[in-house]
This record gives sequence, C-alpha cells and structure tokens, in this order.
Amino acid sequence: MEGSIVSTVKYRKTNKGKIKIRTVTTSSVVIKTTLSILLFLTVYGLVTLDTKDVNLIEAVKDFAINLRTMFFQSSLSNFTFFQSLYQILVTLGLAFLTTLIGGFIALFLGLLAAENLSSKRVSTVIKGFVAFIRAVPTVLWVLVFAIAAGLGSVAAVIGMTFHTVGYLIKAYSESFEEIDKGCIEALKASGASWWQIVFQAILPSAATYLLSWTFLRFEVNFTNAVAMGAAAGAGGIGFELFMASGFYFNVREVGFITYLILFTAIILEVFSTRLKNKFLLGS
Amino acid sequence: MVLLDVKNVSKRYKDTKALSNVNFSVKEGEFISIIGPSGAGKSTLLRCINRMIDANDGEIIFDGIDVLKLNKRDLRRLRTKIGMIFQHYNLVYRLSVIENVLHGRLGYKSKIDGIIGRYSEEEKEQALKILEDLGLGQQIYKRCDELSGGQKQRVGIARSLIQNPKMILCDEPIASLDPSSSKVIMDQLKDISVEKGITCLVNLHQVEVAIKYSDRIIGVNSGQVVFDGPSRELSSDTIYAIYGTEAGNLIVD
Ligand SMILES: Nc1ncnc2c1ncn2[C@@H]1O[C@H](COP(=O)(O)OP(=O)(O)OP(=O)(O)O)[C@@H](O)[C@H]1O
Ligand SMILES: [Mg+2]
Repeated sequence: MEGSIVSTVKYRKTNKGKIKIRTVTTSSVVIKTTLSILLFLTVYGLVTLDTKDVNLIEAVKDFAINLRTMFFQSSLSNFTFFQSLYQILVTLGLAFLTTLIGGFIALFLGLLAAENLSSKRVSTVIKGFVAFIRAVPTVLWVLVFAIAAGLGSVAAVIGMTFHTVGYLIKAYSESFEEIDKGCIEALKASGASWWQIVFQAILPSAATYLLSWTFLRFEVNFTNAVAMGAAAGAGGIGFELFMASGFYFNVREVGFITYLILFTAIILEVFSTRLKNKFLLGS
Repeated sequence: MVLLDVKNVSKRYKDTKALSNVNFSVKEGEFISIIGPSGAGKSTLLRCINRMIDANDGEIIFDGIDVLKLNKRDLRRLRTKIGMIFQHYNLVYRLSVIENVLHGRLGYKSKIDGIIGRYSEEEKEQALKILEDLGLGQQIYKRCDELSGGQKQRVGIARSLIQNPKMILCDEPIASLDPSSSKVIMDQLKDISVEKGITCLVNLHQVEVAIKYSDRIIGVNSGQVVFDGPSRELSSDTIYAIYGTEAGNLIVD
C-alpha cells in the first residue's frame, strides 16, 4: 500500500495500516531463513537424540556432583603448584612465540595486502590466499604440519603461526587501508620513499590498531595453545589438562587447572586493556 | 627566468577530459593563483606538475628538467624541490609538530635514516627556526591532532619550507579555514614568495583573495585555460567566462 501526507513524500503502509519504516531486504530475508533453519535443526536434533539407557535425571544429578567436586574441591595430586605454574608459562610461551612470529610476517605481508600501499593485483592475490588460510581452523593446520614435523610442539608452533599470519594480515591490512590517504600523499609529494612513508606515516598512524589486533590474537593464541597441548601433544597446561581428564579421570585436578587458565586469561585481559589505554591516550 | 613550462598537457580519466592542451609558463618568484569552478581540473593540473598524477600528453619542464621523462629515483629528487600544501593539511596526526615538519626532509635522506627518523641537528634547528617564524614556537612538541585548523596549515607550510623548495604548490590552502586564519595563511604564503623568492602556485576558490594576493591569475574551465594574465586584468567578463554566468553573478555582485 502506498499513501501520502505531503504530496511529494511517498510512503508505504504495513498490513495493519501503520506507516512502514522498514523495508524487506535480501539480507533480512537471508538472516531470518538461516535462523529458522538453525532453530529447526536444534529442535530436531534434541528430539531424535539417542540417549541409550542413560537416565536423564540421574545423568544431570551426576553431572552436578562432578561439577561440584571439580570447582569446589579442586586440588592437585599428580604434580605440584609450581609445576603447574611452569606449565602455564610453557603455554604462554607458545602463544607468545606464535603471535610474535606471526605478527612479524603479517606486518610485511599486510603492507603488501593494503590496497593503498601496493597494487590492486598484489593485494587481491594476498587477500585471497589469506582468506583460504583463515577458512581452515588452527587445529587442522597443526595436524597438516604434523605430517611433516610429527605431532608435538614444532607442528603446533608452525600451524598456529600459519593461522595467526592469515588472521593478522587481514586485520593489519584493513587498519592500513583505514589511514587517511592525505598524509601518504603529502610525504610522497615531498619525495619520500615507500619505506620512509611506511615508517613515518603508516605505522605511527596505525599503531593503536596494530597493537589491539595483536593483543586480541595473543589471547586467541593462548586459548589455542591450551587446546593444542591436548590435541597435538604440544605440552604445557593443555597437555596436563588432557591427562587429568582423559587419562586419570581426576576431576579435582581438572577444576584446579581450569581455575589457573581462567586466572591467567583475566590477567592477560587486564594487562592488554592497560597497555591499550596508555597508547590510546598518548604519551 | 622561466622556472616551469607547461606545454600542451592533457589528462584523461576514462570518459572525462580533466585537462586538455594546457599551456602556460611560470617565472621564478611569481605568485600565481589558479581559479575555476569545481571539477575544472585545478587539482589535477597541480598534481600533474609534481607527477602525483601522470599526464597523458604534453611536456612539463621544471627548472630545465623534463618531468614526464624522469625515472622513479630522479622523480623523488625532483619532488624535494617542489613543496606541496593541501586543503586538509595531510599531517600525521599522531606525531608531534616538529616530527611532521621534519618529514619535509625525508626526500633528502637515505632510506634507513628516513625510516627510523634520524635527523641532523642542523635540520632540527632549521625546523625550529621555520616554526618560530610561522608563530608556532610554543607548539613544537604538541601532537598535531591538538592544533587548530590554521595551526595545522602552518605546520603544512613549515613542512614544505624545510624542503628548501624552488616552488610551492598549494591545493586550496584556505578552503577549510575561517577568514582570519585564511588571512594569516595567505599573508605567510605571500611573505614566503616575496622574501625567499619561492614561486607559489595556488589553487583558490575565492576570487577576491586571488586578486588581492597574486601577481597573475590563471582561469580554468572544463580542463582548459580560459584566462591567463595579471590579476588587475581580470574583468567581470572574464570571471563570467571562467565560472559561467550563474556563478559569475554571485561573484561579481
Ligand atoms: N581519480 C579520478 N578518476 C576519475 N575522474 C577524476 C579523478 N580525479 C578527478 N577526476 C575528474 O577530473 C575532473 C577534474 O577534477 P579536479 O579534482 O582536478 O577538479 P578541481 O578543479 O580541483 O575541483 P575542486 O575545485 O572541486 O577541487 C573532474 O571532472 C573529476 O570528476
Ligand atoms: Mg580540487
């Protein structure tokens, strides 16, 4: 329905006769369809779930008891507190190393992937390649590299670095593209070379973005490093967690380790926020 | 002495002719304004001179050098001799005033010195001197995002001056400023040209300002030079010719 109050303004009405303020777009249709399909699949999955002879109420009760033991009676039995701290350090080290190497590589490729700093063609090629890297989850990359390096820390470092590079190139190059193109033009006009422009204009302007993306990735890599310890035998706290839960069935230890990881993550978060504030407010 | 000679320069974008057969020459120390309606090709013309944009045809001779034939390295060397000032200042806002000024030296520096920002004491002293002259002596360590528009533009001028240029290209240097800051900036540009003998080529939107400050005015319309002469010869008829009747009424009244 179409109507008009002022002769020039054409507006539409809803079925109820109210003035319409939102129009149907393809994206809203796609979102609604996706959501309803997901809802249907969830309900269908739950209804047709084969629970064998597990009694649901019993199971929930047991689960609650396990959870209680895990988080209210956490303790260590197979190793000491200091050993666990050391393992946390190993995991942090894995995260740090992969972020550092990845960040370094991504910085250079990110410059080449930014359309305003390189050519359209180079940028498209790198971005396409990087999209492919990111589409494959970190665990899979680790397993792919494990074929050559064997399961263990080497495969984990290479695999995690690989995915980090993919992620950071996208983040970095988009930060570079956001930069006001005027200051690039100004330095170019005064005869500055490409590298000089990069270091004197691009990096100072993009510093905060680079920093926050790198830290975000560091946090992701910490979680990844925990998972890789378990999945790829990369050592660190993740491996201990895996042993405690899958090997010794020691829920108390699982609880303790979980607390430790949570605590570390919080410290990282606080640290990164502080760092960002300091840089954002300027020195 | 002729410093810049622009001969038959043309520039095409896909379907628009931004410049067609532009001819003029500039003597050393001249202060020239380029006026014309929006889209006339003023910015394109200015950027063809230091090859921020590559012209399709013609010849540009600057200080005896054929600009369009230069390779990358010689082009960088040429650009150190031509300063440029922009409407939106184009500073690196996260850096301090003096760092931005010193950026004007980058073209003279070895790659690595420029990358890590290592400047000689003489260069720093020169920067301080220029900033002092432009009335920015109190702001040298301020970050550029803390400055007013007029101050930012003065930093832009300082950055081009430290290049020791033979010519300065200004693309609408006062278009984002209020009248009093505009006057400060135009006065300083005029001083530079008179005292240091630096040639100025200024794109302007304000005809009165162009008449007041420049020795010579070049009027551009649809990529063609339609007027080229001393500013006192700019009659209302020629203003009509440059801007078209409608706008001409507004300007002349
Ligand atoms: N990168 C580009 N691609 C395509 N066309 C362009 C490009 N840059 C400029 N043009 C066209 O060239 C013509 C001249 O543009 P130019 O920017 O030189 O005008 P101007 O005189 O500086 O205008 P203004 O006073 O608004 O700044 C315009 O028609 C514009 O649309
Ligand atoms: Mg322009």
